[in-house]
Amino acid sequence: MRNEKEVIKLIENNLDPLEINKKRKQNLSVSFTPDKTIQSLSFLKSNSYKHLSTISCVDWIDDNEFELVYHLFSYEDYINISVKTRIDRDKATFVTLKEIWPVAEFYERDIHDFFGVEFEGNDNLEELILENWNEIPPMRKDFDTREFVNEEYEWRDYNGQKHTD
Amino acid sequence: MKNMNGGITMDKNTQTEIFFGPNHPGVPGNYGIIYDFEGDTVTEAKPNAGHLHRGFEKLMEERIWIKNTALVPRICVEEPDINEMVYAMGYEAIGDLEVPKRADYIRSIILELARIQGHIFSIGGNAAGIGQYTVMQWGTLARDYILDLFEEITGGRVYHIYIRPGGVRQDIEDETFEHILEVMDDLEENRLPDLDKALYENPNAHKRWKGKAVITEEEAIEMGATGPVLRANGKPYDVRKMMPYAAYNEVDFEIPTGENGDAWDRLKIMREEMTQSIKIIRQLINNIPEGPVKLDLGNALKYRIPEGDAYVKIESKRGEYGYYMVSDGGLKPYRVHVRGASNPLGLYGVTEYLPGTRVADVPVWAKSLGICPPEFDR
Repeated sequence: MRNEKEVIKLIENNLDPLEINKKRKQNLSVSFTPDKTIQSLSFLKSNSYKHLSTISCVDWIDDNEFELVYHLFSYEDYINISVKTRIDRDKATFVTLKEIWPVAEFYERDIHDFFGVEFEGNDNLEELILENWNEIPPMRKDFDTREFVNEEYEWRDYNGQKHTD
Repeated sequence: MKNMNGGITMDKNTQTEIFFGPNHPGVPGNYGIIYDFEGDTVTEAKPNAGHLHRGFEKLMEERIWIKNTALVPRICVEEPDINEMVYAMGYEAIGDLEVPKRADYIRSIILELARIQGHIFSIGGNAAGIGQYTVMQWGTLARDYILDLFEEITGGRVYHIYIRPGGVRQDIEDETFEHILEVMDDLEENRLPDLDKALYENPNAHKRWKGKAVITEEEAIEMGATGPVLRANGKPYDVRKMMPYAAYNEVDFEIPTGENGDAWDRLKIMREEMTQSIKIIRQLINNIPEGPVKLDLGNALKYRIPEGDAYVKIESKRGEYGYYMVSDGGLKPYRVHVRGASNPLGLYGVTEYLPGTRVADVPVWAKSLGICPPEFDR
């Protein structure tokens, strides 16, 4: 069982992180450049970080970037590692993690649905939750729910009261 | 021998596609599985999710921090308190807040009550999946006593909106603690032994669950399945022990485990966990410290935390329930991502491990693995 310091040392000695953040007990967050992310995840998996909780995506529209966050956990060290990387928002393409964690296929499909990120190597990116969606992906910050509802649906009067937006 | 299928032989009509759900008594909620079968064995399956999508994550980005406490319990109908707790923990982790001791104890009591009612609900659902409706009806009664307690503590039966950033909404009276202990005694002496007799000593249950829906330890870890699915293989992996939160490092309890990784072991783990939860609740009530139950965070409409992000997780009745929360320092969360306990099983697990199951066992498979569609349809 390693503690946080030993894990940080392990990462610094073997990988090339941009930043390591140790904010809370049993929690680390490590950033990588996009080209080093997948190999770093693979290295962590071979070092007991076998549990992939999920993959999160954050739309940083002001920086024109998407952030992908891979949450890993080790049943030996009892430490969570959030591996982060940022990709260009205009050319939202990244490499799939399916080869390393087969379950990632579905998390990537979810991100593809809601953020429109393409994953090279994941040949099954059909719609998972949404159906016949032609608008911009709905979890992007520039998707306006109110505008979408006003265009898509008709407001109805309720109990004689007119709808006011 | 004469063919039983009215003369249709298997080689003429080899594969049939079936839409199992979204409206079917054998599926857990508004969620479907589309599978092909040959004979009576499933050959290929894929999840059909999306019938229940309500856009929670988008809604949360457009509401102030405190308003979301009323929204998060709706994400999973079976486990509202779990969602309230993870949301509050995420807020406290980013804002670096420490909750008063009494609030930690009360939170643990609520979470354990929620675990018991959830397990009773699951056991009832599992039993209904094989046609043992009596267990479900008795279970509903047993669960109702706990819902009465929730009503007394929080004012709500199913959705409580009680655990909030900085602590809990209000204190629990001493009289209510007495009521909780009374219900625990009743559960232990009457309700749970009834379930034991109706279900765990029932030969039909043994036949239907033993050796079914096996997920090995390696398979579970590889796909990220946690909770009873993982513990049914023998390792006591539980977030309450591995990364203690609330008051769990101050109570003494054990993590029940199984041996074979099958549906029967998972059912047994649920039953034993209820005994442990009762033990935890008694210890918490006997040792609860005095003091405030919430932090003063100022005007609730102007809650603000600094920029930052956190992945927080707790042990729900079906395993790891996590939130990834991001704050940009504003009045609203910038991003909240929900990792439900059954995300891996309901999506990847269905395609990978359902094939090979017999058609009549598909409800056993889906229910014993604790698939809750609102979590991936959030």
